[in-house]
Amino acid sequence: MMRALFSAASGMTAQQMNVDNIANNLANANTNGYKVRRVQFQDLLYQNLMQPGASASQQTVVPAGLQLGLGTRPAGNEIIFTPGSLSATENPLDVAIQGPGFFQVLQPNGQLAYTRDGEFQLDRNGNVVTANGNPLQPQITIPADAQSITIAADGTVSYTQPNQTTAQVAGQIQLANFQNPAGLSAAGGNLYTPTQASGDPTLGNPGGAEGLGTLQQGYTEQSNVSVVEEMVNLIVSQRAYEANSKVVQAANEMYQQTNGLVQQ
Amino acid sequence: MDNLTIAAAGGMRSRMESLDLLANNLANTETGGYKADREFYNLYVSSEAATADASPTSLPVIQTAWTDFSQGVLRPTGNSLDLALSGKGFFAVSGPSGDLYTRNGSFHLTPQGTLVSTEGYAVRTVAGGNIQAQGSGALQISRDGTVTQDGQVLGRLAVADFAEAGALVKQGNSYFRSTADPQAASGVQVEQGKLESSNVGAAESAVRLVSVMRQFEMLQKAASLGEQMNQEDAQEVARVAS
Repeated sequence: MMRALFSAASGMTAQQMNVDNIANNLANANTNGYKVRRVQFQDLLYQNLMQPGASASQQTVVPAGLQLGLGTRPAGNEIIFTPGSLSATENPLDVAIQGPGFFQVLQPNGQLAYTRDGEFQLDRNGNVVTANGNPLQPQITIPADAQSITIAADGTVSYTQPNQTTAQVAGQIQLANFQNPAGLSAAGGNLYTPTQASGDPTLGNPGGAEGLGTLQQGYTEQSNVSVVEEMVNLIVSQRAYEANSKVVQAANEMYQQTNGLVQQ
Repeated sequence: MDNLTIAAAGGMRSRMESLDLLANNLANTETGGYKADREFYNLYVSSEAATADASPTSLPVIQTAWTDFSQGVLRPTGNSLDLALSGKGFFAVSGPSGDLYTRNGSFHLTPQGTLVSTEGYAVRTVAGGNIQAQGSGALQISRDGTVTQDGQVLGRLAVADFAEAGALVKQGNSYFRSTADPQAASGVQVEQGKLESSNVGAAESAVRLVSVMRQFEMLQKAASLGEQMNQEDAQEVARVAS
């Protein structure tokens, strides 16, 4: 039984996955609305060589038994929804969420998706869309001659038209949240889609009783990746990989010596 | 076989098992809440040898592996559902076949609002129930494990302790099973937004790795020497007879 070899191999595979994840986090360090992911590891099953509680003799009982573990496995990589820092852009259609909510957008396949990336633009019909052209839901349309667009903290979008003094209301941006946001599935393009694990979205107005957060016009939310932390994780992961490779070497040498016994 | 070869072979075997333990520890340096395994060496004396007057052949074997329950480093994660324990104790979760205990406090909410572990096992409260969150309001967890949401107390997390650490059996996936009844832990604090890292020390493991390898090498030399002596014995005896 070459347990040591396989345990070390499982550790190396796990650290490889950890580095893959760190690489993706670092690659998205400048992606607006990106949320960092963290890999979690778990130990594998144990081989019981001696059951704890078995009787060692008539009077004594084995206090702890002998269990040999068989390595590690990545259990999942969870999205960490801590807020990113807000940076001012002066663009009237850049909106950041201060709070846990998500913008709701409509994908081309007709399904709803959720994003924290509030860099909106107007399409040719005046609809407020994301950088990929997915319209905000409920839809908000701004006429072509609108001059100044204001988005209030509660999501009300208003604009003024030439030669008019009173502002027109175009609609109200709604926010969504989930019972378990960590269970959302990342769909790429800064979008998340709901799953069985996340539950159904609860919709509400910004600043409402649901506690979804308020909006900040003229700001974008940067990614919550801490480059320093990722670098530290990278070093730790690299060293852990190295340690596991040393175990492979050690196990190899020991098996070699065992084989050497027979040759004489 | 002679005593020397038997003892050396026994030693080699137990060093192999030591390496297995060490490999598992090192594979789990990044596993949250993992506790390192250590070993006790012992001399194995067969019952026949123990009753006989002659000096018994003793085999060095790993008698038991023991788990080092020392505290791992608490690492801040910023995730409000990450909980760590500072002090002796374990979170209790309801596993598929009875209660399980863990120090890996990376918890989640189900779509129904129940606080669960990574495997989806409900986290137990002192009263024996679960934590049931309403809506998507943030959970606040105080140092004594009381969970509140929007000012409303949802329950207090059960933190179990055991008189004998030997009663805990590793179950895999960072869980322990217990053969003894738990008691309420005292002097332990629940830290929100942190996770406990594995308590495997890289430097110490490296030293142990080298030491296991060198001991194995020595024993291998001893076994070869024993074999050589046997061979010489056989040849000497053969020469006398001819």
